Amino acid sequence: MALQLSRRELTVYLLPVAALMVFALIAPLLMIFWRSLGETSVSLDAYIDLFKSRLFLRASLTSFEISISSAIVSTIFAYPIALHLSRLSDKWRPIFLIFVLLPFWTSILVKSYSFIVVLGDSGLVNNALVEFGLPKVPMIFNRIGVLVGMSSFQIPFVVFPLLSNLLAQDPNLRRMAAVMGAADVRIFWQITLPLSLPGLLAGVVMCLVMAMGSFVTPALLGGRQDMMVANLIDFYTREALDWASASAIAVVLFAVSATMLWVLSRVRRDSGLI
Amino acid sequence: MTSKTSQRGFSRGWIVVGLATLMYIYLLFPSLVIVPISFGNRAELVFPPRTFSLDLYRDYFGSADWLTVTGRSIIYAALASSLAMVVAVPAGYVLARTNFPGKRILVMLVLGPMMVPVVVISLGLYLYYLKLSLIGTAIGLVVAHAMYATPFIVLTTAAGVESLDEQLERVAVIMGANQSRVFSQVVLPQLVPTLISAGLFAFLNSFDEVVIAWFITGPSTTTLPVKMYSSIKWETSPVLAAVATILTAVSILVCLAAYALKQAALKRAERKPCRTIASGGAQSESTN
Repeated sequence: MALQLSRRELTVYLLPVAALMVFALIAPLLMIFWRSLGETSVSLDAYIDLFKSRLFLRASLTSFEISISSAIVSTIFAYPIALHLSRLSDKWRPIFLIFVLLPFWTSILVKSYSFIVVLGDSGLVNNALVEFGLPKVPMIFNRIGVLVGMSSFQIPFVVFPLLSNLLAQDPNLRRMAAVMGAADVRIFWQITLPLSLPGLLAGVVMCLVMAMGSFVTPALLGGRQDMMVANLIDFYTREALDWASASAIAVVLFAVSATMLWVLSRVRRDSGLI
Repeated sequence: MTSKTSQRGFSRGWIVVGLATLMYIYLLFPSLVIVPISFGNRAELVFPPRTFSLDLYRDYFGSADWLTVTGRSIIYAALASSLAMVVAVPAGYVLARTNFPGKRILVMLVLGPMMVPVVVISLGLYLYYLKLSLIGTAIGLVVAHAMYATPFIVLTTAAGVESLDEQLERVAVIMGANQSRVFSQVVLPQLVPTLISAGLFAFLNSFDEVVIAWFITGPSTTTLPVKMYSSIKWETSPVLAAVATILTAVSILVCLAAYALKQAALKRAERKPCRTIASGGAQSESTN
């Protein structure tokens, strides 16, 4: 932190990035606020209509349901991966991390498409079920499809904070517990898991934030009844051409995400103090 | 006692490894299963395919539509990631190395695209671009994607700078280099592997981005993900399997390249005794 820059140098280094952000992020966000308040005269009509609209209330409820359930599923699925990675040597960890990074960097469209093919009526999974004499289960264009798609997208986002938490835990605690005769299961439930709660919580909140705003997965893998708020924004923008409503929904979504991120930052700070 | 604990560790190890393996499969399966499917035939998309053929790839490479949007996406992604690099790398450096009033606000601003739901950003851009008549223009999309990739590049650059030895920059200043020279001749050369992987990921980020593009592109600027999205939504044509495989291949290449660069950087850092000498020298000088 010793570097001293003059005002002029700071401007040269930082002005371009600030200009880009103001142009392509801040101005558009202000535009939404402005539109949601009515263009000609300031009014809260769009918000009042919104909270009277069954469509919006249903989409909100669906969004909360899907976000919470996908966060739970993703966390449970991510935990074994993070635990496994944390116990690997420094030589092997980067190699196994590729298995998490590759899906992280795979286009969500690729994953959605392959879920449609694999989970579809005559897809791999249903064919296997028939082979074993079981009935077919509809797995796409419904809630199952959305949850599968969401969790496959979110797992890496839980693995990363959880892994850094697990790596920061003092292995001597576990060793000590083992010396004192604690069984592995007990060591996990009473030492590893409680200590990992801040990382876990960070992952859960991250999932909730991402899921609340998700657009592609419910549109491609969900059914009509799985429309989430992001899809409603799209509907109001492109089909209903009702920009005031679309903007009001976007402002509400923005506020909800910001609140969750604020909670997350508090969690991070508090966990830093422990 | 030792044998007992190691045995227990062994049994528990297997539970973790077993569950983790299942989860790795769950994660990798959707990206990889589409590869063999894409070499099946047009009539039925199944895994494993009953007959192998290149039909779907012939469809893809025979379609002017798909090739046009692919080429367009490559160009836009190249432009967007270059713009993002030019703007974000200096910012990452300054944020890692200095304190200044208003730094917190700037950090919030620069990381903003990661915090705001992308659909909110997309609607904002749509309404804003309508006013500016930038809907359906290449420049509008390139700027938007550059904004969207910026936080990622800033974070990667800042992490890269923090792992560098600051003493080298101090030595350069003591030797009379001015700030821009320190940045371009001391910092940037050491950051090359970090910058290449940041650039690759920024490219991929834009190349795969669908929500912003869905809102702000028009018929003459439709990108590959937008075409793919509407194609999955409305027709689900088999050629998508080939497109998906090509996209997966691009992701794998970028991931492997980034991994190789990281390993190379680690090796180079290990084999650099001169750096420790330089920093040791500067350290003793500054403590005196």
